[in-house]
Amino acid sequence: MKLLIIEDEPALSKSIAAYLAGESYLCEFADTFAKALEKIALYSYDCILLDLMLPGGSGLKILEELKRQNKADGVIIISAKNALEDKIQGLQIGADDYLAKPFHLSELTARIHAVIRRKQFGHSNLIKQNELEIDLLAKSVQVKEMPVLLTKKELDLLLYFIGNKNRVISKAALAEHLSGDLADMLDSHDFVYAHIKNLKKKLHEAGCDSYLKTIYGVGYKWEL
Amino acid sequence: MKQLLNKPLRAFAGYAFLILLCSIPAYYYFMDYIWISELNEHNRIIAEKTKYNLNAIANQDSTLAQTIGLWNKLQPNTDLQPTPTIQPDSIYNLYKQKPHAPNQDIDRFQGLVTYFSIQGQPFRFRVETNVEESYETILTITGVTLVFFIFLVLGFILINKRISARLWQPFYATLQKLRAFSLDKQQSITFDPANIAEFEELNQALSSLIESNLGVYKQQKEFTENASHELQTPIAIVQSKLDLLLQNQNLTQEQSSYIDEANQALARVSRINKNLLLLSKLENVQYARQESINLSELLSDTVLLFADYAEGKNIAINTILEPGVSATGNKVLVEILLTNLILNAIKHNVDHGSIQIKLSPDRLVIANSGTTTLLFDQLFRRFGRASTHTPSTGLGLAIVKEIATKHNWTICYEFQGNWHYFSLILTP
Repeated sequence: MKLLIIEDEPALSKSIAAYLAGESYLCEFADTFAKALEKIALYSYDCILLDLMLPGGSGLKILEELKRQNKADGVIIISAKNALEDKIQGLQIGADDYLAKPFHLSELTARIHAVIRRKQFGHSNLIKQNELEIDLLAKSVQVKEMPVLLTKKELDLLLYFIGNKNRVISKAALAEHLSGDLADMLDSHDFVYAHIKNLKKKLHEAGCDSYLKTIYGVGYKWEL
Repeated sequence: MKQLLNKPLRAFAGYAFLILLCSIPAYYYFMDYIWISELNEHNRIIAEKTKYNLNAIANQDSTLAQTIGLWNKLQPNTDLQPTPTIQPDSIYNLYKQKPHAPNQDIDRFQGLVTYFSIQGQPFRFRVETNVEESYETILTITGVTLVFFIFLVLGFILINKRISARLWQPFYATLQKLRAFSLDKQQSITFDPANIAEFEELNQALSSLIESNLGVYKQQKEFTENASHELQTPIAIVQSKLDLLLQNQNLTQEQSSYIDEANQALARVSRINKNLLLLSKLENVQYARQESINLSELLSDTVLLFADYAEGKNIAINTILEPGVSATGNKVLVEILLTNLILNAIKHNVDHGSIQIKLSPDRLVIANSGTTTLLFDQLFRRFGRASTHTPSTGLGLAIVKEIATKHNWTICYEFQGNWHYFSLILTP
């Protein structure tokens, strides 16, 4: 899958590429407005990560250009501006998602996953992984063809883990995923533990292999 | 507080009183002096006339003693007696009982004693004329002076009132405008032209002061905004590097804990940054939208949001929410306000503590168990440290206060019986 990272900070784009390295992603970079315009005109991408403040112009212009060319590339805006109007404007022009800096790479990865999935399969898609099967439309989970009842948050976590498989995810990142913008105000992320414990228990009881590993003192990892 | 114009009024009244007070003895002295000199002259005329007349009629020796005897009987205030020698004249002033008066009545008399000879025989002549008593004179003058003083003061007050109403009108107009002024609103003031030079100067000085202040304020806000924005990207880079570092297979537990601590500190930096940004943008148009907000719903949603977190910290949340309580405001901001208040109640709680949230149409009270009272004057200040407790951004309550003020609500704090009470009073 092809990914374009439009970001003027090389340190950040390199981090993103490095994090995604194990997956079947092919990352390309554009660090200026002009380069970005050139790339989107020449190629198609499964997902474009778009910074709004670029040397040479606004990222929103690139988004408009994409829509003008009727491109179906998925777009996730990554911006230092967390202003509501930017978010609304970006989504109105046609971005698929909006992620404010700073973010956890695991969060970004989960969102890239979600965008690509939507683009490729529409909404009626199934995620299969050995004995585990998730129907995203019905929001249901089956293990060995037997349904497992998960709460909304547990399902959310499960998708997050699968989107970040084989990566260590910190508790802070999980807390942020679960409680959104509030996470960095919370001084303890213990509540994450309760949800993970339940998820593990339910999957285990349904006969699912224990893919979810606890990395002591750090976080969790979905190991395949 | 005294009004400016009342100060000179008091001084004027005091000065007038002093002068009028001094005038009383002066008037008395002059009046009495005129009285006495006139009476002395009068007495002298009587003496001269007596001497002349007696010399004219008493030319026979035999009738002189008889005439003088008759004189003394008929002229009540004079007395003519033979004397061995002629002496120099003298005048005197005395109080004595009025002769033949039915009741006791003391009168004042101005007297003259003079010596002259009638047909070569020396005589002593005494004449006394009734003169106004000193105390009566003083009393009358004092009374009249007092009446004038009252008129004077009344006049001062009246003039003062008219002056303050008319003359100071532009001053009060300026004051009114200054009172309504708020730096946050970013609106400069236009003063009405005053027809008094001093006030016009004052208005001009104020206008330029306000203009420059607004400029500085705006600059500072922009600075905060830009600084926060510029910080987000480096924070994002550090965050991504920490995430990458975490993927390292060979991390020791100690190294992992370093990453975790770095992550926590970074989250705090990020939150401070977001809060600063929020504070700097609170007055921007993006938060100008006002709508009717169902506080009961919003509050229960917010409590739900924190249910996990509170449970993880063993804190029970009890709510008594009157249904259908609504308020007009900006929904985004009100959400932030509620979030910050509830979050504070959870964070700064005791182990196994609890929180009481009570919403009524006029107020919202969020109470949480605690041990010691917080420093009130530090509580709502930016980066104020109201307690030495858990680290925080130091901006949460400052934001609460700013949002409350923006909506014309009041936020109060009280510590009572090991409970911290934060009340948001919704009626202005």
